[in-house]
Amino acid sequence: MATSPSTTIPAISPVLELGAYEVLWAKPNASFTSLAAMFRENPDKLPSDFVDHAWAMTMADTVRGMLKASGVEHFGVRIYRAGEYPSKLRDAEAPVELLYYRGWWDLVEAPSVAVVGTRNPSPEGIERAAAIARFLVKDKYTVVSGLAAGIDSSAHKSAIEAGGKTIAVIGTPINKVYPRENEALQNFIANNFLVISQVPVYRYENQDYRKNRFFFPQRNITMSALTEATVIVEAGETSGTLTQARAAIHQGRKLFILDNCFTNPALTWPQRFEELGAIRVTKYDDIRNNLSKPHVPETHEDR
Amino acid sequence: MSLRLTKIDELTLPDHYRLDITDECYFIGEYTARAGFDYSATNDLIQNLKKPMDRKDRPEWKYKAWAIEQAAKQMRKALPSEVLEYATFIPVPPSRIKTDDLYDDRVVQILQKLGDGVDVREAVTQTEDYDASHGMEVRLGPDELYQLYEIETELLEPTPMSLVVVDDVLTTGAHFKAMKRILNVAFPDVPVVGVFVARRVPEYP
Repeated sequence: MATSPSTTIPAISPVLELGAYEVLWAKPNASFTSLAAMFRENPDKLPSDFVDHAWAMTMADTVRGMLKASGVEHFGVRIYRAGEYPSKLRDAEAPVELLYYRGWWDLVEAPSVAVVGTRNPSPEGIERAAAIARFLVKDKYTVVSGLAAGIDSSAHKSAIEAGGKTIAVIGTPINKVYPRENEALQNFIANNFLVISQVPVYRYENQDYRKNRFFFPQRNITMSALTEATVIVEAGETSGTLTQARAAIHQGRKLFILDNCFTNPALTWPQRFEELGAIRVTKYDDIRNNLSKPHVPETHEDR
Repeated sequence: MSLRLTKIDELTLPDHYRLDITDECYFIGEYTARAGFDYSATNDLIQNLKKPMDRKDRPEWKYKAWAIEQAAKQMRKALPSEVLEYATFIPVPPSRIKTDDLYDDRVVQILQKLGDGVDVREAVTQTEDYDASHGMEVRLGPDELYQLYEIETELLEPTPMSLVVVDDVLTTGAHFKAMKRILNVAFPDVPVVGVFVARRVPEYP
């Protein structure tokens, strides 16, 4: 009986896609841009459609072993076209097909604002980042940042201290921490909130470490796509933060730039982005009045 | 963009400890509900789907009907037409028996909305309630559930080509295991798979 109709169920296997994605990234010339182009040209394909499955499964074992060895016991992946992949990520120029996370994925659907800036801020910058995070928490926004030193760390910590929620979109693989001193903070956010990484685990470990810094600005594009708006607290002329500014404008997200960036005579980028639609912020209300009202989940149930 | 089903594989298998790698289970979304984190569309869908029957007279009841509609729509889109046409769908029986006030046939309703010609049969029923009287759900293992299940094989004539067991949420996998066992006994040569609206992601300490 060779011709009975097929009743097999086509489905996405996360472990297979994880392995296939890591194999695609293991090729020397792979980049977010090249992979996004490949999937744009093949809109119905998954990573496993391009990779030998046995190879993908071997790679998956390797990567899972690496994660386990670095103490990551629980993690998940999100795959484009499978459930829970956030469609807002498709607004990125080179959207990621797969990402890793630790923690509570449902937070990704909460109304959120990114607060970002330089790794070497002024003391005022640290305080401004903290104040904005506090205000956002009060207004029921989840504070998203990149877990870098400086502005990012201040925003995360302040949101937590204010009793709010925070998401870290990191520029290292899910099993790495940068800078080292943020290890406890990263684990805290993973255990209580959500840490997201789009960085391929195998590639990161197996290429010249100096090339890994290019992953940092890439995650800013994803961070912008995940959020309703980005607030830049402080950033230099060549700061990676400006990648996020460009992404926000490109993706149609609100971009807020604090006034102190404009008044710094050494900087030209604030004016440039203001001309492109960024909003100059002199007080928190300039942010609040330009955000949609945070969506308080409808009470469908008496809980 | 059409949403695809996700397979329970070695990455998610430990979250459903009653299942083993030979079990074929598929889901659409992930349910991560816990206090204060009610943002996700799947959490919302599942919570409305599970709304207890004693809330029938409250305004919130309309959300249950909405959730049943949504779940059916997602499932219909995710399942290939050949499966919808040729497979036989069996709902996991609810925790309360038909004569109980709290009997909730939401899964049957979802299946009935999959479309004309979809073969749905309530062939497995439960002989008694297993919810405790104080609303605390009792977690029964597959063996205990198997003892409570009853199959009406005459409802499954002629022998189905393939069996799809359907439930709203995959938790430990105990219900699926019990269903698979009773169906395997009745039809040793017919493959049994599970399809769920969502899988529950456990809260790790």
